[in-house]
Amino acid sequence: MFKFFAAFRKEWLILIRDLAGLIVLFIMPMIMVIILSLVQEFGWNAISKEPKIDVVFVDQDHDSLSFMIRSGLIKTNTFQLITSEKNNNINSDMARELVRQGKYQIGLVVPKGATSAIQRKVQLMVNRVVSGIMMPVHNPFLDIVDKDSVNVVVFFDPAIKGTFKNTFMSSMKEFSLKIESSMIFSSFNKELHRMFPQFNTKDQDYKETVFFTEVYPSGKSQEIFPTPTQHNVPSWAIFAMFFIVIPLTSSIIKEREEGSMIRLHTIPVNYVTIFMSKVGVYLVVCFIQFLLMILSGIFILPLFGLPALDISTNFIPLILMAIATSLAALGYGIMVGTIARTHQQAAAFGSVSIVILAAVGGLWVPIYMMPGFMKTVAGFSPLNWAWAGFIDIFLRGGHFREILPEILKLLLFFITTMSIAGIYRKFKPITGA
Amino acid sequence: MEEPIIEIRDLSKTYRGSDEPAVKSISLDINRNEIFGLLGPNGAGKTTTISILCGLFPATSGNVKIDGMDTQSEMSNIKHVIGVVPQDLALYPTLTAMENLTFFGNMFGLRGSVLRDRIFDCLTVFGMEKVANKRISSYSGGMKRRVNLIAGLLHHPKIIFLDEPTVGIDVQSRIVILDYLKKLNGEGTTIIYTSHYMEEAEHLCHRVAIIDRGRIISIGDPKDLLAQHPEFKNLENIFIHLTGKELRD
Repeated sequence: MFKFFAAFRKEWLILIRDLAGLIVLFIMPMIMVIILSLVQEFGWNAISKEPKIDVVFVDQDHDSLSFMIRSGLIKTNTFQLITSEKNNNINSDMARELVRQGKYQIGLVVPKGATSAIQRKVQLMVNRVVSGIMMPVHNPFLDIVDKDSVNVVVFFDPAIKGTFKNTFMSSMKEFSLKIESSMIFSSFNKELHRMFPQFNTKDQDYKETVFFTEVYPSGKSQEIFPTPTQHNVPSWAIFAMFFIVIPLTSSIIKEREEGSMIRLHTIPVNYVTIFMSKVGVYLVVCFIQFLLMILSGIFILPLFGLPALDISTNFIPLILMAIATSLAALGYGIMVGTIARTHQQAAAFGSVSIVILAAVGGLWVPIYMMPGFMKTVAGFSPLNWAWAGFIDIFLRGGHFREILPEILKLLLFFITTMSIAGIYRKFKPITGA
Repeated sequence: MEEPIIEIRDLSKTYRGSDEPAVKSISLDINRNEIFGLLGPNGAGKTTTISILCGLFPATSGNVKIDGMDTQSEMSNIKHVIGVVPQDLALYPTLTAMENLTFFGNMFGLRGSVLRDRIFDCLTVFGMEKVANKRISSYSGGMKRRVNLIAGLLHHPKIIFLDEPTVGIDVQSRIVILDYLKKLNGEGTTIIYTSHYMEEAEHLCHRVAIIDRGRIISIGDPKDLLAQHPEFKNLENIFIHLTGKELRD
């Protein structure tokens, strides 16, 4: 133990002597969590209020349909309608060109007479139904050919993301269905009033009857609301924690290049002591990083209009999960640093492999959206185990028992990577032998 | 009869990917309390031989015993009785001399006042007590070499391996280092030493082995070697005679 503490002290002194490096170690993960959370929130999800997404809106209809689309889009608070460019009203061709140039991502043209066409179509449908009741033998409305259709044109910037396009189109279909339902109801109302004037049906409006209540079952007595912050902060925190691999591998390779490792090989001290001293020091670093990233989620993200990170959760599981994740990252770093021959090898392999492990681990794209094969691969990523554990804690109010499998997997990964590093160092000479 | 502290038998080493052995069937004994010089041109096999003796990597074949212990099976015990001063500096540049020496002393199990006194004594001998708390990165080449040497001696080893300890330093530093090695030898320490400086070896070593292309081509007391080659006036001439003037990699 004495040698461990001596090596720990040495490692700590080396770390704190590099003040610039230390600041980078602590500040960069914070910046990363803040920036990526903001980008994901505002840019990708586009579910927030600011900045709004511009939609070139060409209203040739000037009636109920265009009014409902206009008010519906404004009401979402996500879109800002652009109707003129350099003081000129935008027409259909201009809208197409502006989207083609990439100046705007979406263009929408509601054609002239769209509302009238819907009304005619609805009226014909109502007439067919009512006449079917009144004149069951010969319904003259069945002979009328239905020629009306409405073609609302939507221009999309080719660079727009598919999920965003789908969301927009869903909204548009919802608006058109709403107006059709409303018109059908109104037409029936009018017909019934005409047929039975003694009944007052004129003032009846169509009202929605199905409502949705969002419930997020959690292990806590109080429901945890799954804000984007609750999703993003743990994801990016795990990603940043695994990037400890870079300074750690650098420390190992530097020790080798500076010759100190050669001396250590001639001294009666085992590799485990040396490795564990590095793990000890960098575990402290990782934990401080994690703490800073959590504090960023609580105090800094709200300054940008994002909801604050809710950590009114189980603290002990949170701390255990942070330690297990750190150990997995450190074990990986020790292994890469031991096997890599140069800084370049370690930096390139370390960083790219973390990005890959994060991608397959579901940090960027949820696993439930991945194809079957990728779901299987995701199960082998330590970043996925860490993510699953943190999500259990942050969003499901998970207790120790729920996150125990993830903690055990991460610890097993730590032991495996450390063993590989130890065996490699024992049998592979430091010099060129 | 002199008692060998290091026994080398048929030692060979071929590096991976190389056809030519770096060391070829070397056999020799190094006696207790001897200063033994391994001399040879670049790439002769000096550093390879010392590295095997220190346990940095295994030999391809052959046996080595150090203080009666086999290097293949008892290296962890051997590490307690040897001190190594590598050819390249083996220090942490961002730590001070005191911090470096404390760390390496701790790794040998030394601690407290015993370690502090040893560090202070060594630093005083090498004229570095006033700069003990300055970072290694701020030292001159000679100062770094001196600290590098001290780090290998703190635990008072029975045997010290020095791989070109005086290369690239000023005359003053060289004199201090060589004087200190003589003092240690006087106290009973066996010293195995490689160098390119023939004159230095001639004056310091009890015996030298001239090694070239992985083989020992001559071994003995420098005076005896000079007696065997009366046509040459110093060890350097004998060395050139034996190894040739061809430039080496």
